This record gives sequence, C-alpha cells and structure tokens, in this order.
Amino acid sequence: MSPVIELHDVRKTYPGPVEVLHGIDLTVERDEQVAILGPSGSGKSTLLNLIGILDRPTSGTLVVGGQDIAALTDRRLAGLRAATIGFVFQQFFLLDYRTALDNVADGLLYTATPLRERRRRAAEVLDRVGLGSRFGHRPAQLSGGERQRVAIARALVGRPALVLADEPTGALDTANGAAVLKLLSELHDDGTTLIVITHDPSVAAAMDREIHIRDGRIHPEPT
Amino acid sequence: MRSSRLAAADLVRVSLLGIGARKLRAALSVLGIAIGIAAIVCVLGISQSSAAGLQHELDRLGTNLLTVQPGQSLTGDQSTLPLSAEQTLTNGPYVQQVSGIAPVSGTVVRNKRIGSIITGGISIKAARPNLPSVLRGEVAQGVFLNAATSNYPVTVLGAVAARRLGVTTLRPDTAVRVGGKTFTVVGVLAPIELAPDVDRSALIGFAEAERAFRIDGSAATVYLRTDPEHVGEAAKTLAAAADPAHPDLVSVSQPSAALSARLAAKKTFNSLFFGLGAVAVLVGAIGIANVMVISVLERRSEIGLRRALGATRGHIGGQFIGESLALALLGGLAGCALGTLVTVGYAHYKHWEAVIPATVLPLGLAGALLIGTVAGLYPAARAARLSPTQALAR
Repeated sequence: MSPVIELHDVRKTYPGPVEVLHGIDLTVERDEQVAILGPSGSGKSTLLNLIGILDRPTSGTLVVGGQDIAALTDRRLAGLRAATIGFVFQQFFLLDYRTALDNVADGLLYTATPLRERRRRAAEVLDRVGLGSRFGHRPAQLSGGERQRVAIARALVGRPALVLADEPTGALDTANGAAVLKLLSELHDDGTTLIVITHDPSVAAAMDREIHIRDGRIHPEPT
Repeated sequence: MRSSRLAAADLVRVSLLGIGARKLRAALSVLGIAIGIAAIVCVLGISQSSAAGLQHELDRLGTNLLTVQPGQSLTGDQSTLPLSAEQTLTNGPYVQQVSGIAPVSGTVVRNKRIGSIITGGISIKAARPNLPSVLRGEVAQGVFLNAATSNYPVTVLGAVAARRLGVTTLRPDTAVRVGGKTFTVVGVLAPIELAPDVDRSALIGFAEAERAFRIDGSAATVYLRTDPEHVGEAAKTLAAAADPAHPDLVSVSQPSAALSARLAAKKTFNSLFFGLGAVAVLVGAIGIANVMVISVLERRSEIGLRRALGATRGHIGGQFIGESLALALLGGLAGCALGTLVTVGYAHYKHWEAVIPATVLPLGLAGALLIGTVAGLYPAARAARLSPTQALAR
C-alpha cells in the first residue's frame, strides 16, 4: 500500500522572497501516528498547510493519498481534501449558528452525500466521541473540551485516510486536553493515520513517532 | 477520485442558513430594496387603479353625450337657439335621445324670511322630464318631474342646490321659494358629473315655467345622446340641424371630453415617482453589497473551514451570491406585498377597483434577482479569492 503522504525536497517560498521550508523529505505510512514538533516560527504551520493541501509547495513533490498534487486542479484538490483529510483546529472553528449534529454533518457537505445520510453518520460519530446527549446543543452551550470533541467528530465523519490536528489541545485546560488526546489516540484502533502538529512535548509523547522541525528543516533529534 | 461536489439543494440551504443566523441584519439590509420595489409597485398600481376608476366612470356616463348651446356672434352678443331647435335636433342623424333645459330668471331661497339678494348661487331652470335619463343622473330622494307634475309648482333640486338650501330629508311639506313663489320639493338629484350646472339648479317643469315665469318654451341648452359609434359625425351635423340659418352661432360640445383627457393624463407614466423608486432600489442594492462585504470579512474563518472541508472557490462564491440573491428576493417579495397592500388600501379608500398590472410583480421580483446578483458579485468574488491558508490564519 502506498504511503498516506510523501514529501520530496519540498520547498515553500513566500513573496519577499522568504523561503520558509528548505527542502523537506517526509513519508507517513498508513496507520502511523506522527507528531510534528517545533517552536513557533519553525515552519510547522506552513508544513501543515502543505500536508493538508490547503496550499501548494513552491517546488518539490507532494503526494497525498497516492495523488501527486502538482497534477491536480484546484477543484480536484478540494475533492481530495473532502475525501481524504479531516482537520482539527486549535480554535475548533465550529459554526455558532449550527447545532453540534449539523456542525458534524457539515463535514460531509462537499461530498455529495444526501442530508439524511450526513445526519445519520454525524449522530453515529457524536455517539462515539461521547456526545450522544448533545446533538441539539449549539457551540456556545458546550464546554471547550466538548467543542473540540465536536470538531474531532466532524473530522472523522467522512472516514478520512488522514486526520490532521493543529495544536488540538492548545485552547484547552490540562484535563480536557488529556481527554482530547486520549480520544485522538483511540483513532489508531480504527486504522486512521494521525498527524498532530504541536509545540508541546507531552502531546508529542503520546504519538508513535516524533518529527522535529526547526528553521524550516527536519532534524533527526530534538535540538 | 471525485471532485468536490455540493448539491444544489445544499447550496440553497447553506445560503439561507447564513441569513437565518443574522436575522435582524438581514431584515435591515433588505429594507432599502423592499421600500424601492414597494414604491414602484404603488406608483404603477395606483395610477392604473385610478385610470381604471376613471374608465369605469366614463363607461357609466357614456362618451356619446353632446351639448348644443347658443354660441357667441361675431360682435360678442349672446345668441339664442331657434324655438324649433329641440324638435329639429330630434330628427338629426344618429341622434337617439334629446332633452333640454332653459334658464328662468329669479332666485331660489329656503323661505320668505330670507331676502332675495342671498341667492346662494342657485339658478332656476326649466327641464324636460327625460333629463336624468339623458344625463345618466340618479334621483337621490323622491321623484323627478313628469308630464303631470310639470304643470304644477313643484321643483326638483340639484345636489348642490339641495345642500345649500339645507334640504336634507324630503317631507311632503318640504317647500322652497322659487322666483318668489312657493314650490313643493318632490325630489333631489344625485351629483351629475357631465352637467355640473344642473347640480346648482332648482328644476321646474317647462309648462309651469311658461305659465308662471313667461319663458317662451324653447330650450337654451339641448342635451343629446347619439349612436356611440358615430359621435363625431353627429357632432358635425348638429349645428346646422339646430339653426339652419346661422349654424356658426351654435356651439356643440362633448362634456365627457374633459374626463377622457384626464384619463389620458393618468395613463401617461408617472416617471418622477418611478424614478424615486428606482433610486431607492439602487440604494437598497448598495446596502446589500455593503452588508455582504462586511459578512465576508467577519466570516473569514467560516470560509477557511469550508475550504478545509472540501469547498471549491466556486462553492464559496456560490454561497455568497446565493445569500445576496436570497436577501434581494426577500426584499423584492416584501416590497411587492407592501406595494400591493398600499395599492389595494388606497384604491378601496378611493372606491376604485384595485388594478396592479400583471407584469409589475414578476418584473419587481426579476429586478430584485438582478440586483441581488449584481450586489453579490463583488463580495462573492472576494470570498472566493480568499486563500484557505489566509482564511484560517490566526
């Protein structure tokens, strides 16, 4: 089976010009749980945007889900995101005016799944993350930990090959952070590949593999 | 591998949800368009309704009434119609009905104790019994003169005359002083649109007028109903028929011409108010564009999230165009409803039949949709152009 993501000599330059990533080589296999660790300014957010195909590399090869993204149109990229990647953000990004159930169901909005089916699967996943009694609640009526669990459910509802979490515990207290981390690592049992981007070593320690990034380069060891 | 897809029903749902989440703002932002479209619907509806009311009135009164009166001679003297004029006009071409009135000198007062100087502008006229039928006038109370009562001192008052004399309810003993003699009031006429001078008169029979006031029995004003298809031809021959010796001293007029002219004026477009409505709609469109631009700025993270969930640029643009369209459509519907309501209310108040041209409401909605598209284009393009990484950036 092909790896979930492969990066070969990936570089990213922003207008300036400022090169933020200086040639990244990285392969993540199916079922792996990987932490990408680095201080702020290290280029890890840029790396997240590339792995999540929210942005294209300036040069180098990026293969996601077996597809070389250089060959894909923006429309195909959006389709690949919808089908392959589930995002979990530090700020949750839930829609305030939608119920928990609809927020999760929206994870399938751009996959041409009928509304009834979206809701049914959303209910299933919300049950699985332990929010079976919170379907009708709006984000404002939920605690921070609950909101992040709704966001995780939204990332999972499309059964993506890859879940990409950006500082998932960054906005939570220790207890809620630990619960969210536990939930994420349970995904492993379902065979979901997980990449967590963090600056917190204790989060990284919960993963199978740690990748350290500093000044736009991958370092074999923590520096 | 499949491209990202968003079902049409979901696009509509997503667009409407954005509005539902900000109801007050949506309501305020559609106000401009609603008022503008309501104004346009009102302008068209009320002018059409009033034209229809006038048309209805014209149909009831008929345009085939002609008036034959003595004109002025070259020297400016008032001429008179020959004694036989009424008779010869009856035989004129296309003439269907003839009636006449003749002025009688004297004043009309309520009773003896009121001096004859206070005339109240009421004149005495001798009238033929068929006058209401020719003028399509209605008798409001009592009866009109007939062949028998024309021989006695009885009178029928015009609507204005009755009001000025204070005759509100008829009793068997209701009487007024006509030319210094007591006349019993047997009837009161409703207002007659085509002959306002009759409204200000006390009408008495020709026979009584000849006996009591010594008039010669000829009509000074002859009213004719002609064949409606040949009013113009009839009008041309009537002067000669009335006075074969001096046709140039006879004036023939069509009292309904003034009403017809008013009708034509109503039908011309009320462009000033229409223009004001258009300006209101334009301001409304700018309002919607404004609100949409703000909405795009506020919802950056929602846009970023949707892109992360797999939305294409087109889906994002479509969502914001859809919101703008839905807002404009809401405004259009509210405007059409409000405009219709005002038109119906005003027409009811004026006793017209409410008429809203069939094309106005669909045109109003189509205009609203066009405005929605135009107003939404720029904000939607901004939303679509926003890169997902920028939209998600903290």
